Amino acid sequence: MESIEKKLREEAKRLLAEKKVDVIVGYEKGTLPLCSTPCFISNSEDTDRLVWDFFCRQNLAKYVHDLLFQHKESQRNVKPEEKTKKVIGVVARGCTSRSLIIHLQERQYHRDDVVIIGVPCTGYVAQEKIADRAGGEEIREGRVEGDKVVVKTVSGVKDIPLRDVIADNCLTCRFNNPVISDIMTATDAQPMSPDQEYVQVDEFGKRPLEERWAYFTGEMSRCIRCYACRNVCPSCYCKVCFVEQSQPRWVGIGIDETDTQVFQIMRMFHMAGRCVDCGACVEVCPMGVDLRRFLKKLDKDGFELFNHRVGAVLDEPPPLATFRDTDKDEFIFEPE
Amino acid sequence: MAENRLNKGWEPKIVAFCCNWCTYAGADLAGISRIQYPPSVRIVRVPCTGRINPFYIVKALQEGADGVLVSGCHPGECHYLTGNLSAKRKFAMLKNFLSYIGIEPDRTVFTWVSASEGERFARVVQGVTDAVKVLGPMDKLAKRI
Ligand code: SF4
Ligand code: SF4
Ligand code: SF4
Repeated sequence: MESIEKKLREEAKRLLAEKKVDVIVGYEKGTLPLCSTPCFISNSEDTDRLVWDFFCRQNLAKYVHDLLFQHKESQRNVKPEEKTKKVIGVVARGCTSRSLIIHLQERQYHRDDVVIIGVPCTGYVAQEKIADRAGGEEIREGRVEGDKVVVKTVSGVKDIPLRDVIADNCLTCRFNNPVISDIMTATDAQPMSPDQEYVQVDEFGKRPLEERWAYFTGEMSRCIRCYACRNVCPSCYCKVCFVEQSQPRWVGIGIDETDTQVFQIMRMFHMAGRCVDCGACVEVCPMGVDLRRFLKKLDKDGFELFNHRVGAVLDEPPPLATFRDTDKDEFIFEPE
Repeated sequence: MAENRLNKGWEPKIVAFCCNWCTYAGADLAGISRIQYPPSVRIVRVPCTGRINPFYIVKALQEGADGVLVSGCHPGECHYLTGNLSAKRKFAMLKNFLSYIGIEPDRTVFTWVSASEGERFARVVQGVTDAVKVLGPMDKLAKRI
């Protein structure tokens, strides 16, 4: 990882110095232990701030969309001859690169608006898992040493096997190496093991209907509708989100439980063919809502029904924007 | 809600999203031809099944529908050529998803009825009504104010 970090800083420096990009979106060391946080670097002197480690959790594609969108807005009232172009350099692991592909498939910006600095990925440490393993105690310091995470809490120093705290989505990740990139910082990482990818979905789908509903409503009853899951998701970029629309008002803003359920059903359904399972929404959820259990079902169906792997191929249309004559139709109702 | 189920007078409420060019005309034909079918459906006329935001379906369930029927033109007969075919993909995913979270699959029904199939329309409504009757009133997702 150190060598990737070194290469990353060099490439970022070069891109900025040569004015190939206006800004680099990457990660830097966070203020809390075991946290890296998104950063924006526009000066080639500052590229040593960039880090690449097991604590880079967020999906940076989100910021690429935001920055380009803001730039586009700012250019609206500018005379044609004075319009400027903005190019974003982005540090992209597998899931980030797939989110970029989704933006490109959905025509949000052009391929030459981004320079993708690919990083081979071996997963990140899930905040919730590490907090669990630290016994809920405040983590004062922490670092990765070989295949374990060493954490220091009030009660002493603990060694935790790295594998035990890697996020669930990373453990079964099918695309841990960037799907597209302009520059690669290292050769491909070892693949993760995706065979278990849908085990949880299959198991859940076999439970009785009422049990599934009870689980769904139980999870959703914890949701406080802070919308962090939406705000962090690279595929949630509508200028006006349906939850904030007032004409019509799709979702009530009160505390009625069905409004929360409907909000979640619709936000998740908007992810059909678009969720790359980066786990960012799960990581930011302050209430630990098990969103992935539901999102993963859409991913599975997208593959099983339409043979579509989200964000895997740039010039493939999004699955719900197209169709095939061979699409299954057993679900179509036939009256007696 | 439970007492409703015992209430003999309970009739399911089914919201039917019907495509203007086929099913809506089919329903009209059923009416003109005086074909009997249950009065359980409330028809919402849409320009094309492709115009239906899956949110309409979820919203109808939240607002008190016991079932939702979506009906458009048979494949190959869409007024806009392929609206129904892309809609089909959305519906396949929505139906699966709703049943995955625990909503009975019989509450969301998709079918095709053409303008000349008044009699098929009546049979569809009968079929959906019967299935929803077995399930009883929708008490999941339904807003209670
Ligand atoms: S989901 Fe895959 S690419 Fe994304 S962080 Fe995890 S292992 Fe890396
Ligand atoms: S982040 Fe969690 S609590 Fe906040 S809206 Fe999303 S699911 Fe609800
Ligand atoms: S829904 Fe969650 S896991 Fe899926 S792309 Fe958005 S943030 Fe990532």
